Amino acid sequence: MFSCSNKYTWLAAALIAFASPLAAQETALDPANSVKVDLPSDSPLELISKSLGDSRATSRGGAIVLDLHMGLTLRNAGSKHVRGVTLLVTAQEFAPGGKGSVARPSIDVAPGQTFTLPVDIRLVRPVQQTSGPLVHVQLDGVLFDDLTFFGPNKLNSQRALTFWEVEAQRDRAYFKQSLQARGESGLGEEMRKSIARQADRPQLDVSLTRNGRASGSAVPSTDRPVQFAFLNLPDSPVQPLEGWAAISGNEARSPQIEIINHSGKPVKYVEIGWLVKDKQGQEYVAGSVPTSESTMLLPSGQRTRLLQDTALKFSHTGRAIEIEGMTGYVSQVEFADGHVWVPSRHDLDSSPLLRVTAPSPEEQRLADIYSKKGVAALAAELARY
Amino acid sequence: MKHPGEYNLALLAGGEAGAFHRFRLDRHVRNCEDCQEKVAEFQALRKHLSDTEFPEVNWNSLAAEMRANIHVGLEAGACVRDTHVAKNWSPQFALAFASLVVLVGAGFFLTDGRLHRMTVSETAAPVLQPTASGIELRKGTDSFAFLDDKEVRTDQSVNAQGAIEARYINDETGSVTITNVLLQQ
Repeated sequence: MFSCSNKYTWLAAALIAFASPLAAQETALDPANSVKVDLPSDSPLELISKSLGDSRATSRGGAIVLDLHMGLTLRNAGSKHVRGVTLLVTAQEFAPGGKGSVARPSIDVAPGQTFTLPVDIRLVRPVQQTSGPLVHVQLDGVLFDDLTFFGPNKLNSQRALTFWEVEAQRDRAYFKQSLQARGESGLGEEMRKSIARQADRPQLDVSLTRNGRASGSAVPSTDRPVQFAFLNLPDSPVQPLEGWAAISGNEARSPQIEIINHSGKPVKYVEIGWLVKDKQGQEYVAGSVPTSESTMLLPSGQRTRLLQDTALKFSHTGRAIEIEGMTGYVSQVEFADGHVWVPSRHDLDSSPLLRVTAPSPEEQRLADIYSKKGVAALAAELARY
Repeated sequence: MKHPGEYNLALLAGGEAGAFHRFRLDRHVRNCEDCQEKVAEFQALRKHLSDTEFPEVNWNSLAAEMRANIHVGLEAGACVRDTHVAKNWSPQFALAFASLVVLVGAGFFLTDGRLHRMTVSETAAPVLQPTASGIELRKGTDSFAFLDDKEVRTDQSVNAQGAIEARYINDETGSVTITNVLLQQ
C-alpha cells in the first residue's frame, strides 16, 4: 500500500517521465533533404561543394525553427571572367512568401577559379509534413566582364549586377586617376576621406509594409502630403518634375514621382533616390522609388509617374524619426538597349550625395583593402583592372 | 564536439540560464577553450556596459525617486491587505504540482501552433524590417530572415517597391555580399 506522500512522489515521477520526451528537440539538418541547390545544366558556374556548417532545425511547440548557415563553393566553368553572381533563395511553402537573393558583386573570377557564397537564413514556420526541401537555392544570374549575362533573371539580377559593375568601373577610374595625379599619398588621402564618410554617414532603420499603415507607428495618424524637393544632376537622362508622399510623423506612404525622359533614347527603368530630413535638419537616405511597371518603356521626351503602394516607417537607433522634408534625385537609369546610367563622381561630389548616400560596393571593397593592407596593395589591386 | 549557441553562452555569462541548463552548459564550457573564451567575452562586455555612465541622466536621483514610489505603494498596500502565509507545506505536493505545471506547459507549447496562430497570421500584414540579427520578413509568428552571421552589415536600403537590401563585408576576405529580402503580396 502507498502512503499519501508516496502517491504524490510516484505521480510526480510519472508525469516527469511522460513530459520529458516532449521537450524541444534540436537536430542537425540532413543536407540531402533540407536544401536543394539548382544550377541550370548549361550554367557557367559549377557547384563544387555545399557546406551546412552548424545549421540546425529545432522544433518549438507548433513551429520549426531552421537556422541555415550554408557556404556554396562555385567554380567558373566558363571562358569569361565573372564580375557578379546572384542566387535566388526561396523558403518552400512559407505563408508570406519567403523569397530573397544573395549577390556577390565586384568580383573578378577567372575561368577555372572558385569562390564561396554564404547563405545565412532563419526560417520560422508551422511544423507540417513536406515532401520537398525547406529551402531552394537557384542561380538567377551571372554577369561577365564584357557585361553579357547568363541566367533566368527572375529577380532582374541583370540590371542590378550591371549597375554595380558600372558603378565599380566609375569608382576604379576615379581612384586610378587620383593615383596617377597625386601618387600613393593622394590615393591614401582619398581612401581616408571615403572611410570617414562611411563612418559618419547616419543610417536609418526602415520597416516596410504593403498598402496601408506601417505597424507600430509611433505618432498620431495625421497624414499630410509632403512634396519632394529634387536635386537635379546635370548629366541625368531623366528629370524628376514633381512628387509627394503621405507623411504621418515617422511614416511615409504611397510615394509618387513624375519624371520626363530628356535623353534621345527610350528608357525602361528609373530609380529615384529618396532622402528624408528630420526636425533637426539631419538628412538620411530613406531608400529608393523605382519604376512601378516592369514593362515600362518611356520614349524620348515623354513623361510618366512612378507609384509605389507601400508604407515605410523610419527610426534611428530605436528612436522614431519625424519627417520634416524629402529630397529625390535620379540614382539609376536603364535604357531600352540595356545600357545604364549612374551619377558621375563629379555629380556626387558637387552635391550632398557623396556625404549622405552609401558608397558603391566597389568603393567599400577598395576601402577595406586600404585599411587592412595599405596603399601599396590598393594600388596593385587597381592596376589589375 | 557540438558547441552551445552564443545565445546560451550569453545567458550563462550573465548568470541567467536556468539551473539544469546552467549545469549542462558549465559541464561543456569547463572542457572547451573556445566556449570559455566566448563566455569571457560576454562577461567582459557585460562589465563594460555596466561600467558605462550616461552623463545626461541623474541615476541616483532616479533611483531615489523609484524607491520612494515603491515605499509609498507598499505602505498603501499594507493598509488594505492582510497577508496569509501557508503554514503546512508539503514538498511532495509541491513536486507533484510543479510536474503538473510542466506537463500542461509542454502540452500548450507542443500543440500545433497553427491553431493558436491562425487568427494572428491571417490578419497581420507582412512586415519587412531590419533586426539586430538581420533583415526579417514577418507575418504573425512566421518569419523568414537573412542573418548577418559572421559578416559585418555595412549598409541597408529600402526599395519602395517592396524589398530591403543589406550589404556585408567579410572581415577575412574583404568580399562584399548583398542580400535582398522581398516583401511579397
